[in-house]
Amino acid sequence: MEDGARLMERVRARDVDAFERLYDGYHRLVFGIALRIASDAALAEDVTQSIFLTLWSTPEAFRDGNFAAWLSRVARNRTLDALRSRANRPTDDIPADLPAEGSTEAFAFARIDAQRVRGALSELTDEQRTPIELGFFGGITHEEIARRTGIPLGTIKTRIRAGLRRLRASLSEAVSR
Amino acid sequence: MNEPRDREALLDLVAAYALGVLPPAEHAHAAAAILADPDARREYDELRATANLIGLTAEEPVDSARSARMKERLLSAVRADVAPRRAPASGVRSSALFGTMLAAAAAVVFALISVIQNFGLRSDLHDAQRRVVALQAAADTDRHAIERDRTMLADLAAGDAKRYAVAYGTVVTRGANVYLALAALPPLPRGKVYQAWTLARGATAMTPSVTFAPNQAGTTLVPLAADARATAAVAVSVEPDGGSRQPTTKPTFVQPFG
Repeated sequence: MEDGARLMERVRARDVDAFERLYDGYHRLVFGIALRIASDAALAEDVTQSIFLTLWSTPEAFRDGNFAAWLSRVARNRTLDALRSRANRPTDDIPADLPAEGSTEAFAFARIDAQRVRGALSELTDEQRTPIELGFFGGITHEEIARRTGIPLGTIKTRIRAGLRRLRASLSEAVSR
Repeated sequence: MNEPRDREALLDLVAAYALGVLPPAEHAHAAAAILADPDARREYDELRATANLIGLTAEEPVDSARSARMKERLLSAVRADVAPRRAPASGVRSSALFGTMLAAAAAVVFALISVIQNFGLRSDLHDAQRRVVALQAAADTDRHAIERDRTMLADLAAGDAKRYAVAYGTVVTRGANVYLALAALPPLPRGKVYQAWTLARGATAMTPSVTFAPNQAGTTLVPLAADARATAAVAVSVEPDGGSRQPTTKPTFVQPFG
């Protein structure tokens, strides 16, 4: 797959060919995330198109780091937006993101691919992986995760942090190999 | 002493924020902690970059017809966006103009036919339009609220924001905007609130600003209504519930702007 960050530089210069390559390389990721969250292929298609149009119209939204990881977060948030909009629920349910200050972390993980992330996730205990996946793909709050799993909120918070830290350690090790 | 336990709880909160599972009510608390506490900032940066990678595991094949359909629509839109930027060649101008006129004429005919066909449905259409207008107004309100929150969070984390360390946290300015990001504020006596004050450039007396009370952890994030570019200093003091016209207690801090 071509490097997304480089393609985005060309998209900024209004290069249609780069945009086409970007679509070829990354639409499966965006569609996959939207489908996993929404379980609705038509909505996933709408979200995918809307995101790629946004990439074209405001390419400066991506600054640097791991393009696929950034795009994953965009796909997640946009799908949750679409679901809430469809349910006619106020969209300010969605937590706004505090932008990361330094991109050192994003750079460190710039070459991480899906296979490595799957491997690292599989190394987590079920107790750690479940709340993390529910949170990312379920688009629910930690309180809702606690309610659904029947586990106290404090325990859920601790497991999310421990799981993310372990995931990071595992991925950092993979990067340094 | 609960300090280490409170610290761990704070970092757990930051991790939940990095994953994107915090309810909005806890947002300000997490954001203020991240801004005021370097350890919380580091934790957030590390775990957010990690959390963003989780989505990579969801990639899956898209059936070829759907993939081609999306691509065709997108490329049509993108090419249409690029096309007007190119200077038209003189030889094709007239045919392009003719094509445009033809398309416009077809649109008018289509619209006329539609109007005639839908004449009997006009009242339903008006009802639907009224509902659309109401929904649009509600959506606009929601969108403005989100925009406000996003602007605030973007300002707080922006590299070009000015940050002034004060007792219990940080005063942040960016452009015209001023924010107080405070953590571990002392609990207030009954019937008291914290009140912010601003001193306009050239003025000799403080102007009363908002009153606020921190959450149980002593954390709060307060946007001030003053224009930072016209403000010489901000201060916070403890005042009677409802606020005062002039500070009645020694300020918790006074921060001049450079």
